[in-house]
Amino acid sequence: MVVLDPAHGGTDTGARGENGAVEKDIVLQFARAMRAELVREGYRVVLTRDDDSNPSYDDRAAMANSYRDAIFINLHVSSTGTLGTARVYFYQFWTPLPPPAAAVSSNADKSTPPPIALTSTPGPTSLIPWDQAQRPYVDMSHRLADQLQAQLATVFMGSPGISVGVAERGLRSVTAPAISIEISSVAAPNVASLSSMAAPLGVAVGKGLQSFRSANSAGPK
Amino acid sequence: MARKWKVVIGILVVAVVIGLVSFRDLWQRIQRLSQSQTVEEQARREVLAPPITTPTDVMVNAKLFWSAGQDTLAPVDTPLPLSADPVQRSKQVLHALIASPPSAEQRTLPADVEILGFYILPDGTAVADFSDALASETPSGILSEQQTIESIVQTLENNVPTLHRLKILIHGQEVDTLAGHLDLTGFFDLTPPAQNSDSSGSGISGTTSPNAAASAAGTAASNSSVTPASASPSAPASAPSSATPAPATPGASPASPQTVLPPRRLYLPLRPPSPLRSNKNHCSFHSGSLTRNLI
Repeated sequence: MVVLDPAHGGTDTGARGENGAVEKDIVLQFARAMRAELVREGYRVVLTRDDDSNPSYDDRAAMANSYRDAIFINLHVSSTGTLGTARVYFYQFWTPLPPPAAAVSSNADKSTPPPIALTSTPGPTSLIPWDQAQRPYVDMSHRLADQLQAQLATVFMGSPGISVGVAERGLRSVTAPAISIEISSVAAPNVASLSSMAAPLGVAVGKGLQSFRSANSAGPK
Repeated sequence: MARKWKVVIGILVVAVVIGLVSFRDLWQRIQRLSQSQTVEEQARREVLAPPITTPTDVMVNAKLFWSAGQDTLAPVDTPLPLSADPVQRSKQVLHALIASPPSAEQRTLPADVEILGFYILPDGTAVADFSDALASETPSGILSEQQTIESIVQTLENNVPTLHRLKILIHGQEVDTLAGHLDLTGFFDLTPPAQNSDSSGSGISGTTSPNAAASAAGTAASNSSVTPASASPSAPASAPSSATPAPATPGASPASPQTVLPPRRLYLPLRPPSPLRSNKNHCSFHSGSLTRNLI
């Protein structure tokens, strides 16, 4: 299952350009075009919003988290950056792991509850905080981001060759491989030039997902 | 030469002279207009947030990180009187970062941003409280928000070595994001990258190393996330507060090659780790099937 997440919506317009481009509308166009392309390729696709609503970060993540083997793709249009390029981001954590449970139990105050295990392979009963739900999937998200970025770089000249780790809020609570794609930018000469990126974006993402799926047998379909 | 031609040539000469004089005047007016914008902005800032001076101020070459393109920051050596007190010193460099970019294109923080407060906790955690303008006037987008935060973080990292991490507040409140994208709920690591060691084992080394390697190799990944030691010097650029005075150099000068935006190191809040904190805030994992059930 591919969960496409057009960012913003409702009163949250996102970036706005002098040409009339509004991020929330452009990303919805992108998401619909990508859905058509991915469905054509045989993927099951769902959008976190298919209208001018603005689900919360948690609601968007919860939608992705309710599917098995989902892939979460968050879509943005930037205010800045080289026109006509696309960047792919994955969530970057830098939190030191809590000390091992044994060490904690011997040293810690007895009134302190034991720490939650934050390993890359969650155990059958382990719980992790909602705000760190992406943690076990960071490696997979990174690989997915690199696959998609490589494809986007061939379609949108000037785009970087590899993805970037950044603390993008929309990805933090997703319990699946999750990435953000940001297209530059609302400063394009006109809205049509931005809209014209939707079709090639869908094709490139389709190819990137195929590469990711080939490399990781547990990819979505 | 006929008298008629002499008159024509004379008129032409006069016209050229008038044109030159007018052009010079026009050029000077353009210059004055561009300067007056800066002066007006500076005057407003001086009223709102006058420069901070303390008795322990020593002139040093501070390394301030301003924009050097749409996705890069460059450190600029800027002579500044900096305090020995880390709180005042932090305010001083942030104030300069907001008030004194070498040009409008290099600005990374909106001109109207004010520093409402700056505190340092005993564990070296810095808390910077900015006015609403930081959130409302920073261009919305992952790239632009990352550049703004990097500018703040790297400037503090390189000029106030006693700080360990940074929490950013907007008007005294914790906010979800800066302008809709960048997560501000955590703490930003202020330890220079070369001193960091990844012990998380949760993919961080995997995220950093390839990019750093790509950068070091000078590959085409110039726009991507890297934390090369050369890009973010491990040693503080300016002397610590107790340092001897550095010679004051008039004006600011570029300090080193451009710095590609590194991935920001985010500390998430280590809240009380009780699995019973809130049903809504937790999810359970069944590793065999990767089934995810909200509980």
